[in-house]
Amino acid sequence: MSMADSTGERVELRPMLEYAAVVTWLEGLKQHWGGDPANDDPERLPILEAFCRFVNRDPDQIINETTMLKDGEKRIRIKGRERYANLINEFQDTVEGSRFKKGKWGNTVRSFLIHNGVLLAQGMQGGME
Amino acid sequence: MEFKEVIGRRRSIRFFDPDRPVERAKIQKMLEAARLASCAVNAHWARAIVGFRDDLTEDQLNRLKTPVAGLNTELAPVHIHFFNDLGVVNRIQGSRLKELVDVGALAPTHGWSHKFVDEFVYPQILKPMTQGPGYPVMSSMDVGVAMCQALLTGVDEGLGVGLVTLNGAVLKEVFKTPDDWIPLSTILVGYPAESWDGGGQRPRPPFEELYFEGEYGRPFPRDPAVVEELKQAKMIQEPAKPHDPKRIEEIKKLAEKYGLPM
Repeated sequence: MSMADSTGERVELRPMLEYAAVVTWLEGLKQHWGGDPANDDPERLPILEAFCRFVNRDPDQIINETTMLKDGEKRIRIKGRERYANLINEFQDTVEGSRFKKGKWGNTVRSFLIHNGVLLAQGMQGGME
Repeated sequence: MEFKEVIGRRRSIRFFDPDRPVERAKIQKMLEAARLASCAVNAHWARAIVGFRDDLTEDQLNRLKTPVAGLNTELAPVHIHFFNDLGVVNRIQGSRLKELVDVGALAPTHGWSHKFVDEFVYPQILKPMTQGPGYPVMSSMDVGVAMCQALLTGVDEGLGVGLVTLNGAVLKEVFKTPDDWIPLSTILVGYPAESWDGGGQRPRPPFEELYFEGEYGRPFPRDPAVVEELKQAKMIQEPAKPHDPKRIEEIKKLAEKYGLPM
């Protein structure tokens, strides 16, 4: 079940690279794995965009709903993280295709959260045969 | 494997082969090693419950897991949960000290006798100690020593091991432990799915920052010849390098194999 806001309006998304949280994600990927994360996987940004449409939030809103500032320090919102963990599972289940493909789509969104500092270890998601 | 190499070879394994079972005999050897650990006043606070991952319900496993240790716990086929049995001192009332007297480990040469234990050590030292605020911390140190021996024995047996802290309240509920047992850490056990060296020995603070001689602030001198000797004995091994392409490639393959985010 995707989330619409109370007015039923759909969020208007700008190009993914214009969001600070997406830039943070790609920088994190580059720092950890090297390569050119914006281009080396053509599915990466479209998958995140599809998730944003699924939850009706833009990337920065997702990070704002899973983190907060408390006493000047960034903290993880436990309930927000749990909600998004469940939403990613739901999103993954909507993907048509193999177990591997479903896992890849879910893990792409998990990676977005992880590199924005939101710990999200949800275990094995199928993987290779 | 030689003792020093066991120490040098130990890594906190985080990628276990989830489908390769661990021989029961190897688990028993780890527990036997824990039982032989050094322990203050011979009390033996350490208790362990061996949990086989596949014996847990999905709900139990999910509730045990913490966000940080969740994946490792899911991958490891065996979990050895260690507890501190806080009640042991007042149950045994010094009797195990008297066993040490009887076997000559504690002797009159050092002031020990049954009467000393019965009239002084237990009532005036040990019993009050159990009522002090520092008691759980002090006694948990001894459990840590026992856990360390189990951990290293696992390495010696060719297993992968890793220490984690799981949800203590759930541990007590699932394993039906007595009220006065404190849940401590869990040793995850399995065969490594990653290379045993995990990219190299993990970063450690400089020796001189940790250990002192005579007084705080005067580092214990580190003799390079001793370091070299320990390298030869494989206790000090090649350190892990930041952004090591070989290690990155290994993690990528493991992520693909097990369907993990990158």
